[in-house]
Amino acid sequence: MRVPGKPAVLLVLALSLPAVAGVHEVKLKLPLRPKLAVTGRERISLSPFIVATQLSEKKDAARYKDLDLDAEFRRYLGKQLGKRTKMTIIPMPAEVKLPTTVLKDLSENAEYWRSVGARTGADILLSGIVDFKIEDKSGYRAEEYVSRIDGRTYYRQVLVESTGFTFEVTVLAFDGKTGAKLFQETFRDAKEKPRRQADELLGLFENLFSLENQLLGLFVVREREANRYVFD
Amino acid sequence: MTACSSGTGTGWKAQKTYGARMARKGFWREALFRFERAAVEKPDDPEVLNNLAVAYESLGESAKALTTYKRALELAPSDPRIKRNYARFAESYTAQQRAGGAPATPTP
Repeated sequence: MRVPGKPAVLLVLALSLPAVAGVHEVKLKLPLRPKLAVTGRERISLSPFIVATQLSEKKDAARYKDLDLDAEFRRYLGKQLGKRTKMTIIPMPAEVKLPTTVLKDLSENAEYWRSVGARTGADILLSGIVDFKIEDKSGYRAEEYVSRIDGRTYYRQVLVESTGFTFEVTVLAFDGKTGAKLFQETFRDAKEKPRRQADELLGLFENLFSLENQLLGLFVVREREANRYVFD
Repeated sequence: MTACSSGTGTGWKAQKTYGARMARKGFWREALFRFERAAVEKPDDPEVLNNLAVAYESLGESAKALTTYKRALELAPSDPRIKRNYARFAESYTAQQRAGGAPATPTP
């Protein structure tokens, strides 16, 4: 039997070593703390949201006629909070109306929020302002094509008809006991769809799905992956 | 050789190596335990301190991670791996501080 020589042994040893001996890149899952302290304040209620532009005032009001933006947003957010957090959703009485349509005034009206808190028994009250815009974004764009006659590549201008959906929400959180403002942040998402596939409700929910993690990040701990070096 | 083949030895080098193996598998509590033991024996080893800082960071102990990374960098100011780790940590630590975590008291 042939006994392997020194070079062969060294080769085997070299192949069994990691690429960079002594250092490894490892993955960490870092906790991202929620932006709103909810521990011990798990009862939450969703008050009405101001709708930035009254839908009836929009030029093409017919496109929005079936869309109750405030109700759709609150229903969606309440459902996500109920499913993906430990918070208890306290129903908001239907007769609760906002005292103003000015965001600043709303955010400073501690007395109003204290009364809503007392009425609902919620620890945290959410409100704010929502806006949803649908815009036609048709225009000419340069497109490359290969001529069948001479096989060369040319550029031509083509009309592209698309529709843009933009959703924006400013979320305000209030302490249900004191009525004081705890938090304010604005979230925005924009999407573009070919004209034939444009539907206002589908557009709205695509915007909302995109914002889902950001919105829930207000209330729950999330994780972020990171890489670090460790030495052997 | 300080580490026994089945896992842990008792020397600081063996603890560090075993801790690094646990870190690669994602067992950060075990890794931290090993790095802490290594650091007791070798409190001025920048590699041990770097590993310890990474373990603290992974377990959400940011304040301890900060001081440990700083100490590791003091001991090895030109090590590119420790510098990179510290830079990435500083980025996420600052973001957390800016977010304020969770306001316990109302904003003005």
